[in-house]
Amino acid sequence: MLGALLYLRLTSLKNLLLSRLRRLRQPKYLLGAAVGAAYFYFVFSRPFAGAGRPSTSSGSGAAASFTLSTVELIPLLSVFGAFALVVIALFTWLVPSEKQGLTFSEAEVAFLFPAPISRRRLIHFRLLGAQLHILLSAIFFTLLSRGWSFLGGNVLTHIVGWWLVLTVVNLHFTGAALTLNRIFDAGISVWRRRLVILGGFSVLIVATAISIWQNAPAFPTGNFGPGAFFSAIARTIDTGLLHWLLFPGKLLLAPFLAADVRTFFFALGPAALLLAAHYLWVSRLEVSFEEASVAHAEKRAARVARFQAGDYRLGSAPAKARREPFPLRVPGRPELAFLWKNLLGTRALFHWRVWTGCAVAIMIGVPWIIRAGGKAPFAAIIAIIAAVFAIYTLLLGPQLARQDLRSDLPNSDILKTYPLAGWQILLGQLLTPIAILSGLLWLSLLAAILALAPRADTVSWLTPGFRLTAGLCVAAVIPALCTLQLLIPNAAALLFPAWFQSTRTRGGGIELMGQRLIFVIGQLFVILISLLPVVLGCALVIFASQWLIGPAAAVVLATLLALTLLAAEIACGLWWLGERFEKLDLATELRP
Amino acid sequence: MIEVSALSKRYGDFTAVRDLSFTVQPGEVLGLVGPNGAGKTSTLRSLAGIIPPSGGTVRIGGIDLAAEPVAAKRLLAFFPDEPRLFDYLTVRQHLNFVARIYGVADHAALAQPLLEELEIAEKADQLPGELSRGMKQKLAIACGLLHSPRVMFFDEPLTGLDPLGIRRMKDSILRRARDGAAIVLSSHLLHLLEEVCSHVLILKKGEKIAHGSLAEISAQFAHGETGVSLEEIFIRATGGSEN
Repeated sequence: MLGALLYLRLTSLKNLLLSRLRRLRQPKYLLGAAVGAAYFYFVFSRPFAGAGRPSTSSGSGAAASFTLSTVELIPLLSVFGAFALVVIALFTWLVPSEKQGLTFSEAEVAFLFPAPISRRRLIHFRLLGAQLHILLSAIFFTLLSRGWSFLGGNVLTHIVGWWLVLTVVNLHFTGAALTLNRIFDAGISVWRRRLVILGGFSVLIVATAISIWQNAPAFPTGNFGPGAFFSAIARTIDTGLLHWLLFPGKLLLAPFLAADVRTFFFALGPAALLLAAHYLWVSRLEVSFEEASVAHAEKRAARVARFQAGDYRLGSAPAKARREPFPLRVPGRPELAFLWKNLLGTRALFHWRVWTGCAVAIMIGVPWIIRAGGKAPFAAIIAIIAAVFAIYTLLLGPQLARQDLRSDLPNSDILKTYPLAGWQILLGQLLTPIAILSGLLWLSLLAAILALAPRADTVSWLTPGFRLTAGLCVAAVIPALCTLQLLIPNAAALLFPAWFQSTRTRGGGIELMGQRLIFVIGQLFVILISLLPVVLGCALVIFASQWLIGPAAAVVLATLLALTLLAAEIACGLWWLGERFEKLDLATELRP
Repeated sequence: MIEVSALSKRYGDFTAVRDLSFTVQPGEVLGLVGPNGAGKTSTLRSLAGIIPPSGGTVRIGGIDLAAEPVAAKRLLAFFPDEPRLFDYLTVRQHLNFVARIYGVADHAALAQPLLEELEIAEKADQLPGELSRGMKQKLAIACGLLHSPRVMFFDEPLTGLDPLGIRRMKDSILRRARDGAAIVLSSHLLHLLEEVCSHVLILKKGEKIAHGSLAEISAQFAHGETGVSLEEIFIRATGGSEN
């Protein structure tokens, strides 16, 4: 029977790889694969030169920043790593509030659950299925942790090390899920279980605290660096009963942290024993998991469907309807109906009351922090944070705020039957992310303006009047900038629907990663081209007019020019993309 | 009410619909039938203004769909086979949204009897995720009917409905036709079409191979036999294959 299950896994894997290779015949995937491969090459092209050569003195790379030698660093990583594993295990046992299912796809549920296959074999199938992901993850993490070559070891020891950690964690998750199901079946309530676990853990912490108080070495005093600080923390954690709780984790991490091949082989035995113990535990559990697994598979399938339909939220769909953001009266501009509809689909956070509250908090909080902190340092920090937040919002916001045509593209057939021009539908769809991004940018601007207040003492032209004028001018330009930024990804969705739809597939390999990179680079390129005439025009107007009419009036004049140019670009974009939307036939575009 | 003249739809080298002409008068229900790949959905989507035709003209209530799409679309409603709903709008909010789009001023007065007729009034404050497949279908229909369209296009309208739902849907279509609407519907359920349609248009490989009232079509393919079903007529007309 296991042979048949193995056949299913291997054949599926073979066909997946073949289909991935076959689709490289399409230019969009080939180009995506090339860009993805180039990205991987440049990110991970640093040689493994340092591997196998652990430093014994002051360390290198990350180690140097800790001013610790590798000999000191490895135990430190071992303790922190083991502590992280203990915390993960604790949450695994503590959090679940309902019966746990094992991860099966809907097809696997449909074919395997009614088949004459024992539970034990199904568990083995599940474990076997996880191995491919674990192996790929081990390789990926090894690539990511190449900078840790100062630890010693080599590529192979690191891959095996990661594989051991991930496999045991996976086995622990499976074993915990099954054991929790047994606890549920025994009629033990969730809170009773949580109380027992938390009680046990609290006893452990108290016992450790007593042990630390009696035995632990004192913290370093005087002027000490982060290395000494973290070492002291590690020594503190690794004391008393907690030392024994961390012991299995340290055994598990030892192969990965092995400085050389000899140490690796010595560490392999205990880690393998830990793995075997976990396997025995899981394979001997005879607990029902089918019902929960079916529910889990359905939830997963619904989540994937939602994701492909443009809903990127990780949680399940809301069970209750939201309160309307504003009353939608008839008659009125139909574009506002799209704003109303899309706002209903956003989180409760995007409500005018929340925005007003944030604005009031900033207006009270920023001056208070600056006053309390003695002006300059805090003012500069707030201004920098506000500026960085604004830049990230403007650049990455359009990729995250997708409550527009990108989310509604699967409904395009219905949208196109509405008695509206294409540009009206597009404009209506854009209003929600424009409102969200503009709101965030206005808040950042408010914080920056308030934080810049103390500079008026030292910079003569930064008068309150000028700050107010400049602030209002920037605030006026923000919605137009957001509209332009959002037009680009929506244009990509309309002009290259097949490309766009394929990038919405979760995961999907190096070629899809490359496609997403192409979209991001394309967005940056187009926005730069679009803003170039605006920036040049504004700079020219300010330069030429400030001598005559003063800086504040020059900024106002430049803002008017910027708004005119941006409005013209947006109008052209909306009209053109609206025409494109009217002609779009998604079914044809997505035909392979 | 619906005038189609020399309609064609091409996808690259492939012609899905070729030189199709027909009219549907107020009160008529035209059944669009044909084997898989005959061009039914392409025809319906072209008629509803979802995709632009490659050639020919479509007039809805005398308005050219290509020249004045917005005005033409005010008169029509399209009902897809799979209900397309907005995840975060309740039943009532769907109707509110559609009312604003179509400018239906007295929508609250219209919506309630519509919800009651379709038996979803009790679900008015629920999200689509909380509705069954049949309920979703009913909501999509309610949205389509809210602006009292004079032309309706149904793509497989009976899919996913229970026997009671099918009966009610048939009654609803017939009532709209009696009230003067021109209706085109496509379905593979020929015995059900037989009960609803006044006219039939049989397509094969994108071409019209028969069009007329049920009696006319029956006379054309029955070869003197009596009581020949639409299913039998369909098989005779299409030669019993897709090709």
